[in-house]
Amino acid sequence: MMSSVPSGDKKSKLLVYSVEECPVCGQKTKRAFAVGDYVTKDGAKCTKCGNQTRVALVYAEGTKPSG
Amino acid sequence: MSFLPSSVALQGLTATESEFIYIVFFAGLFVFQFAFGTRIQVYFALNDIGRGLGKLKVMKEKSRKEAIDYLVNVGKAPNDPSQRVDQFLDYVTIMPVGIDPNGLVNKIDHVVTTNNDRVRAEVTALIGQNNPVTVSISENLLEVATALNMIHKIVRHYYILGKKTNSYFTLIQLQMLMPMIIQESDALLNAVDSFKVGQPVGDGIGPVSVSRLMIGKEKRVIAKDTVMAISEYKGRKLYVVKADGPMAYVGQPGIAIRNVIEEMGVKPSAIIMIDAALKLEGEKTGEIAEGVGAAIGGIGVEKFQIEDVATKNKVPLYAILVKQSILEAITVMRKEIAEASDKVVQTLQRVIEEKTKEGDDVIVAGIGNTLGVAQ
Ligand SMILES: [Zn+2]
Repeated sequence: MMSSVPSGDKKSKLLVYSVEECPVCGQKTKRAFAVGDYVTKDGAKCTKCGNQTRVALVYAEGTKPSG
Repeated sequence: MSFLPSSVALQGLTATESEFIYIVFFAGLFVFQFAFGTRIQVYFALNDIGRGLGKLKVMKEKSRKEAIDYLVNVGKAPNDPSQRVDQFLDYVTIMPVGIDPNGLVNKIDHVVTTNNDRVRAEVTALIGQNNPVTVSISENLLEVATALNMIHKIVRHYYILGKKTNSYFTLIQLQMLMPMIIQESDALLNAVDSFKVGQPVGDGIGPVSVSRLMIGKEKRVIAKDTVMAISEYKGRKLYVVKADGPMAYVGQPGIAIRNVIEEMGVKPSAIIMIDAALKLEGEKTGEIAEGVGAAIGGIGVEKFQIEDVATKNKVPLYAILVKQSILEAITVMRKEIAEASDKVVQTLQRVIEEKTKEGDDVIVAGIGNTLGVAQ
């Protein structure tokens, strides 16, 4: 009978980003997640129109496991 | 290295002699298999479960350590919390008796609420501060450690029991379940990483979606850890409910919806719930499904409360679900899930347009853990 307990599978590394969105012009800026970030938190001033941006999304993206 | 008597070895024997050896060989094999087959399988099963059990032990110890580290480093616990944490891990919640099911849900609710209040009070006392985000994260980390501790204990129980009684069926069943148990435990352990730093988890897709409707609106507390804001869409008044973020709360959406209807006297023409749903293997993460009924998981208390108030007031329940795996639901939100929020809002708007008329009231509830998602 074969072993059925899965051995530690390779995890692709996940990088977490915060996406700041300008509520006026809709410009989105993706940057690395910083501790203390949360969705709807005020972000930096919009680089396009100078309005206050907001963190719209926080998500993780997998990097392609490099050889 | 074949056990089968080859035709070469049988050369020189008469046909009847070789036939006889053949029969004896297979009869012997049959008897051997009959007498020792299960023992051999038990041996392999024990080996297999033992290995899994070792992994579970490492996981449970790691989660305990992570919880203690968080309490000390982030929570700034004034004293060493190790001993208190160990007591916490073995704390039991005794569920009410079910032989008289009348009013059972309220009893379960009562016990669960008592436990939740106790956990919060204990954590607050332990870390000596009451930053709600830190307290809520500590609660969640301790819950993960408790769950892993329990899983390890139960598996160990059946492992030892099976070993002692040499029970073939106990061990084989456990061996079959082991990969799933390890997978779920692994998911729990992985959850610790996102919880510690306050990142939204996949289960938070409901709160992420409805938080967009609440930005800039006045929020009021509508139930414990739960907030409500009034919004508007194409002439409909939306009562938007979610747990109070960015704390790691799930809130009390059942009571919140009941309060909107019964205490505020709102007569909604629809309740629309947005939640994460477990995908089946092969389904795509972030896929959206629509349906009717109360979209909420958990022990069933909230689901009961929502179904109850909806039925009494004859309000149709609609559900918008975002598919994900158990691992994705309790670890940092994946891109596919986060990006589904745009589609969720579009779907929500379509459902509102299709199912309600201008001037109607609609309750929209974003269900799930709202860690890292304010409003
Ligand atoms: Zn802008």
